[in-house]
Amino acid sequence: MNCDELRDYYELYALGVLEEPESGEIRAHLERACPACQSGVRSARQLMAILGTTAPPVPPPARLRGRVLAAVSGRPATRWSWAPVWAAVAAAAIVAALVFNGREQRAVAELARARSLSVSQTRELARLNRALEILDQPDARQVVFGTGPAMPPRGRVFLDPKRGVLLLASNLPPAPAGKAYEMWVVPKGGKPLPAGMFQSATDWTAVHVLPGPVDVASTAAVAVTLEREAGVPQPTSQPVIVAAL
Amino acid sequence: MMLLPLLLAIEIGEGDPELALRLQRRDPRAMAELYDRYGRLVYSLVVRIVRDGGIAEDLVQETFLRVWNRVQGFDAEKGALGPWLLAVARNRAIDYLRSAGSRLRNALELQETEHPALFADFEKNIIQADRIARVKAALEKLSANQRTVIELAYFEGLSQTEMAERTGQPLGTIKTWVRTALKSLRDELGTAVPA
Repeated sequence: MNCDELRDYYELYALGVLEEPESGEIRAHLERACPACQSGVRSARQLMAILGTTAPPVPPPARLRGRVLAAVSGRPATRWSWAPVWAAVAAAAIVAALVFNGREQRAVAELARARSLSVSQTRELARLNRALEILDQPDARQVVFGTGPAMPPRGRVFLDPKRGVLLLASNLPPAPAGKAYEMWVVPKGGKPLPAGMFQSATDWTAVHVLPGPVDVASTAAVAVTLEREAGVPQPTSQPVIVAAL
Repeated sequence: MMLLPLLLAIEIGEGDPELALRLQRRDPRAMAELYDRYGRLVYSLVVRIVRDGGIAEDLVQETFLRVWNRVQGFDAEKGALGPWLLAVARNRAIDYLRSAGSRLRNALELQETEHPALFADFEKNIIQADRIARVKAALEKLSANQRTVIELAYFEGLSQTEMAERTGQPLGTIKTWVRTALKSLRDELGTAVPA
């Protein structure tokens, strides 16, 4: 497609909601530094930024300023949240899954019971629901890692073509300050694709989900590296986990 | 009420290069200034998307933390802090909507739209009262259907196919509404935002 045909789509591309084939076409134009598309997409981003300011004004609660500043300073947030409860439930479920090797249904049952509790919907709940959806898929591809005689990180990776990738790990030490774990989906014959950042819990367990469709057949491995907290586009260290399919 | 966002936005963007440099030097007071400058805009946007104050607080905190962690990749001299913050905030909120609704879209698509390097070489102080007023006026001139599809794209992160499913309209009709609505907005702002 030429630039004239693409100009109607710049805004949807800037919003991340443009579908194929137009999305791929614009990406290809940008990758070859097409001046018309670079300029058009930049204008679209500006227009969309202004659109974002048209939301009806709502004053934030006064406590939010303190929470934001505490978060960047590394001080603990004081607001009570369901998140630690869900993290504890998830950690318990992972331990169950790992201890009762081959009996993941037990962990699924624990998670399902946890899901049935009536609580306010939190991000943690949404994350666990995504994990459950993948665990619930009978066709999900499952790969075990860390089974050697030493004590490497151990666990399982589940890949469901429609729902995404779920990583359950134990024996994964907390990342040093300023660092985090980054998961990678490694395509056959291709560069690793970043699949999100996560931290391990204080009991050295971790749950991480990459939601969305995944091409299981063309995936060679799922890996994890230790990277700076903001994430990197390509791995810069040796993997601490490799689950080869 | 109509004037409030405009008043909030006036002067926004002034001093951003210096503020971005201080963020990159890890000056904790710079984060307080960033919040004081953009916190209301960011919170208002997130509340509009998730329609829940408690969840919005979590997402706003995530937004500022993400910006703090990624500011080294931001071009302090040429970058536009406000648009970057709003993009990160929108993505956090849309990602929340998608995960809460079990919508099967890849979060990586959104991450591609918020890289700090994408917000360089914007028009100076792009978030200005007169531009906001023009976009709001253009939005009000749109037909109800045209306005709906723009809101579904921006505030709910729906693709055109998803809009067709949501509204029960043919995909071709949705595409026409989107195309004409965006053209109106673009034309309205055309002289204010040079390509």
